[in-house]
Amino acid sequence: MSKKRKISLSEEELVLALRQREKIAVEALYDMYSASLFGVIVRIINDTAIAEDVLQDTFVKIWNSFQSYSTEKGRLFTWMVNIARNLAIDKIRSKDFKNQGKNQELENNVTFIDEQRNTVYKPELLGIKELVETLKPEQKSILDLVYFKGYTHVEAADELGVPLGTIKTRLRMAIIQLRKHFN
Amino acid sequence: MEEVKTYIESGILELYVLGEVTQEERAQVEAMALKHPAIKAELDEIEKSLESYAFENAVEPSESQRDKILNSLLTNFSDDRNFPSHKVETTDNVIPFERISNGNFYKYAFAACFALLVVSIAALVSVYNHLEQSNTLLASLQTQNQHFSNRVNLMDHELGVFRDPSFKLLKLQGTKKSPASVLTVAWSPAKKKVMIDMANANMPANDQDHQYQLWALVAGKPVDLGVFDADTASKDMKEMKSIASADAFAVTLEPRGGSPAPHLDEMMVIGKF
Repeated sequence: MSKKRKISLSEEELVLALRQREKIAVEALYDMYSASLFGVIVRIINDTAIAEDVLQDTFVKIWNSFQSYSTEKGRLFTWMVNIARNLAIDKIRSKDFKNQGKNQELENNVTFIDEQRNTVYKPELLGIKELVETLKPEQKSILDLVYFKGYTHVEAADELGVPLGTIKTRLRMAIIQLRKHFN
Repeated sequence: MEEVKTYIESGILELYVLGEVTQEERAQVEAMALKHPAIKAELDEIEKSLESYAFENAVEPSESQRDKILNSLLTNFSDDRNFPSHKVETTDNVIPFERISNGNFYKYAFAACFALLVVSIAALVSVYNHLEQSNTLLASLQTQNQHFSNRVNLMDHELGVFRDPSFKLLKLQGTKKSPASVLTVAWSPAKKKVMIDMANANMPANDQDHQYQLWALVAGKPVDLGVFDADTASKDMKEMKSIASADAFAVTLEPRGGSPAPHLDEMMVIGKF
């Protein structure tokens, strides 16, 4: 199926269709969220083939345990990205993945992925330079560590050598910057 | 409101959205969100901004993944009521192999061969016995045939004697010593042959020490023509020594092997031409 026929539903329609286990819901779910979820997964894993396996596992888990999602607890994407992140972290902590020795330095990570793949950016991405300028380097590094690398904020504090409180503050500031940017 | 503001500013909501909270913190955040719409709104903003950030950093998985992942969802985790177009093919196209029983085949083949061998040997023995019988029969038939052939030859020979006009038949009559005795002598002066016909002879049987001796009288002198035995078994014609001329024939009983001169007192039969 070509990208031109991508299906897009509102989040409410999608959740309803998923609850009714309609085929179109699965296709819409994939078309709407596969790239964003894969962006998170592939940044954590750094190996396209393994990341694609994890993406599949992610969709399987989303589809399989959808009854445990409730709109009251938050947005659909938040729930899904946490599933994807947890599966990706499980994968890189698994024995067979560690044996591959393919882990990369954090600093190279995002640019490495972007160089490795022909990342398809959305039109809004024209503002990415502005976004990068919006986020201070220390805000971006902590946000990327936690969001795209699967670090806990405690691990991130160790990694960056800053107190836990500072981590929390920077994280909050980074997200506030994002909110400003996207609004 | 101050409490809400402090709670928002603590950073716990960001950690909650990032899944970075403990079970108790999670329950606490959810309780606060229910209680304070401002916290719910703040959470929603954080989620939206992170979702947007993820969209900004989206990476397209390869084209092939879409069908692969959708198929895995629809075939493995759907139930067929919802996705009738994706019914799993359950047609069993596996063709089971028949168990090849080589062992049994050879067992039976060996048994068959053995049975055939036994039957063949039996048949061979039977045929051999028949052949033996046939050979025996053939040998006896050949002997009989030979016997008949000999007999026919002999009789032909004997018949020849009677047919031959050159043979003269002389019946020797019994003397006083043995009046009942008779012996027929056939003589061919041209062929110098003398035969005696034992079939018509009627001579007393001689014992082991004596033999009959045939004599020819030529110009009054006896000439030895050979000895013979008289018994009931011999019925053929006997060829004696040859002589060209004779006046009479006589038979005397002599010691076995014959005598140079006849004992005239032992003369059994005599006949003259």
